[in-house]
Amino acid sequence: MIVRNSYREDFPALRREIDGQRISYLDSAATTLKPDAVIRAITEYYETNGANIHRGKHRLSEEASDAYEASRVLIASHIGAAANEVVLTRNTSEALNLVAQGLELEPDAYIVGCMDAHHSQMLPWRRAGRLALTRVDADGRLDRDHFRELLRERPKVVALTHCSNVTGTVHPVAELIAEIRSATDAVIVLDAAQSLPHQRLNVHELDVDFVAFSMHKMLGPTGVGVLFGRSRLLSALRPLTVGGGMVDWVDLDGSVDRRTPYKFEAGTPAIASVIGSGAAIRYLEALDPAALHQHERDVARALVGGALTRPGVRLIGPPNLTDRIGLVSLRLEQGVPTGDVARMLSDSYGYMVRSGHMCSQPLVTGLAGGEILRVSAYLYNEVAEVEGFYEALDELLACIGPAAVVGARR
Amino acid sequence: MSEPSTFEAVREEIAYAYDNTVFFRKHMEASGLLPADIREPADFLRLPPTSKPHYRRNFPAGVLAKGYTLNSPHVMRFQSSGTSGERLNSAILSYDLARRQASALGVNRRFDELWRPGSRPRICRFAPPNCSDVECATGFSTMEDRILADGTLVLTVAHDLLATPEWQIVKALDEIELYEPDLLVVDPTHFAFLTRWARRLKRTITSPRRLHMVCGYTLMTRVARRQIEEFMGPDLPVGDMIGMSELGYLGFECHHGNRHVNDRDFHMEFIRDGLPVAYGETGELYVTTVDDGLVPRIRYATGDHFTPLEGRCPCGSDLPLVRIEGRATHMIRLTDGRTVTPGAVDALVGEAPGIDLYKLEQDRTGACTFRYIPNAAADRSQSSALEHRLTEALAPNPVRFEAVDYIAGERSGKFQPVVSQISAEGA
Repeated sequence: MIVRNSYREDFPALRREIDGQRISYLDSAATTLKPDAVIRAITEYYETNGANIHRGKHRLSEEASDAYEASRVLIASHIGAAANEVVLTRNTSEALNLVAQGLELEPDAYIVGCMDAHHSQMLPWRRAGRLALTRVDADGRLDRDHFRELLRERPKVVALTHCSNVTGTVHPVAELIAEIRSATDAVIVLDAAQSLPHQRLNVHELDVDFVAFSMHKMLGPTGVGVLFGRSRLLSALRPLTVGGGMVDWVDLDGSVDRRTPYKFEAGTPAIASVIGSGAAIRYLEALDPAALHQHERDVARALVGGALTRPGVRLIGPPNLTDRIGLVSLRLEQGVPTGDVARMLSDSYGYMVRSGHMCSQPLVTGLAGGEILRVSAYLYNEVAEVEGFYEALDELLACIGPAAVVGARR
Repeated sequence: MSEPSTFEAVREEIAYAYDNTVFFRKHMEASGLLPADIREPADFLRLPPTSKPHYRRNFPAGVLAKGYTLNSPHVMRFQSSGTSGERLNSAILSYDLARRQASALGVNRRFDELWRPGSRPRICRFAPPNCSDVECATGFSTMEDRILADGTLVLTVAHDLLATPEWQIVKALDEIELYEPDLLVVDPTHFAFLTRWARRLKRTITSPRRLHMVCGYTLMTRVARRQIEEFMGPDLPVGDMIGMSELGYLGFECHHGNRHVNDRDFHMEFIRDGLPVAYGETGELYVTTVDDGLVPRIRYATGDHFTPLEGRCPCGSDLPLVRIEGRATHMIRLTDGRTVTPGAVDALVGEAPGIDLYKLEQDRTGACTFRYIPNAAADRSQSSALEHRLTEALAPNPVRFEAVDYIAGERSGKFQPVVSQISAEGA
């Protein structure tokens, strides 16, 4: 008997059938599905309001502004920040670019990053200065000796990845930050896009300078990224874009920027999506954290266990459940076309998984040697789905078969 | 159109599919039928048609015949974005593909010299990128990256045809020159676009070998054909292919310009409301493969509509004659109950010397918009006459005419000359 978890019913996309078949969404590291509560919040804004925020004196504008700012407060509170320390951007990439460009580093500024960074936490720093990447071991864990060695050169910035979107490894950021603080006065920028959907963090307890994440990876709508910045550092950043909404005064000689965070939010923002993001935070915070944690462990166990017990499949990442989220990356045997497998898993079996380099091409090339299949679960997935996924993969790999001659009837 | 001569082969195919594929066995059982129940052609109609969703959902485990894997010798695997977004994963035996191709091309004497004993034609493909099994739309691929196992060089093109940047066009023209093909396998709308650019860049498209051209992927409009023939000259043999990714060549254009379907390698039915249509009437093509050991298909509803035509063609081929009408999802539905097929629209537009490209689109309300890109030869009286013809043919539905300088392609990379939201959503 398949035991359905209680969250599934909140996600209307999971009621969909394609070619008469239920779908199983296992691509949550790319983006999560949205619960009814989030969808309702967005449609309610459009159905009952629809006005622009901040610059209007009329009632609808004020209501919309209130709802928008209430979401900012909720998001800030979720990470232990003050509302004025939270900038709402389009996505994590924009948030990280804002810091990388806004710090106005010298062109040869030395920056330490991580080999398992997403391109969004790698390319902005490569453009901003001289980037050195901390190595990872064969399981995707950071090489701490190498990290310390890189810190000795006193970087201006250390760009950390809390959780790899390839290996699912959650790095010990509290320890890493303590090491950085004792070795250098570098600005610490944390990419929490993959970790925050799975575990809360408190930015002040963590003693981090900047944290970036995306609401769409934690049940919110697409189009909303978040940048937390320590007040002093945030107010010193140069805005990435200028224009309407980020200034208090403009005359023919110049302009006066608004205070943070508004000076970083030029133009009309994704109002409905920000309001929906507030609903996502409320949804997440209403869940029982212990039950959620146990559920995630169960699913992760099925994911890792399934990968370790199968011939023809190599797990990319740690072969255990220590400090990891419910995500596995699989390298298929030589000659098995990963993209084709992902497509057939979708069209023939209903399993939506991702294939490719996962926007972490140097890491994937280094650890796997080529494209991978990534299976990432979230609170609406069940252990039975993971088991079903592996059964489908088994059947598919058997059908693809070895390259050797197989006796055919005709 | 059911020929008794092929019926025995069809019965064998049914028995084979029943014994060797999980899907078809279940499909027959769901109708309470066994292969032995199909004794005569009339019994065949009792079998419910199969369709793309069946093969999509059951590929490969349910539709691949016992004894085969996707890595078995001669198995060619492919994916298709499909027309109108109907994705498909499938596989075909290379020798079945070759057999079907040979039967189809056999109707056109101008292609006779293409396949000589012991030689294999060098092929360049210029077609929608999603129809190719290579990442041809990225700027990183080399010619070597884009040469398929059978030696076909896939040329680069953007998903949105008219947004293809100049560097990609120059690359395609350079690579044709370098590859020296015998055969260009093209989407005619795409190739017409390439000829317009070649003219602008003062380039030629030639080969030291004798070039041939097979057109497929989307309806070959007369507008595209006119441009191709004007640019390439009368010596180039051009043939319009009737085909599907999952089946290969279903038919071809003979040297008299008529379309023949391949009823040697397939059993073909043209069906409307569950029954075969008479000559001169339009029906959907149902295909049953003959001797397909890998993925046998029985009464496979293709979604493509044709009008079977009576009589023998002066080309001498005994393969049946048809007129191409287009896909069900592209039919223009009029409020008086009539349907206008893409083929009929194309006949109304004709060669249109003043037009480079056109697209007729019907929206949900039934209203039609005819967008076209005029060229230097555009002439007011011709466009008025065209407006008059289309308005009359599409009445009582309203038609708007717009001369534009850009028309977007489909996300799949294909460019369909006639689309209907009503038909697409009703599919």
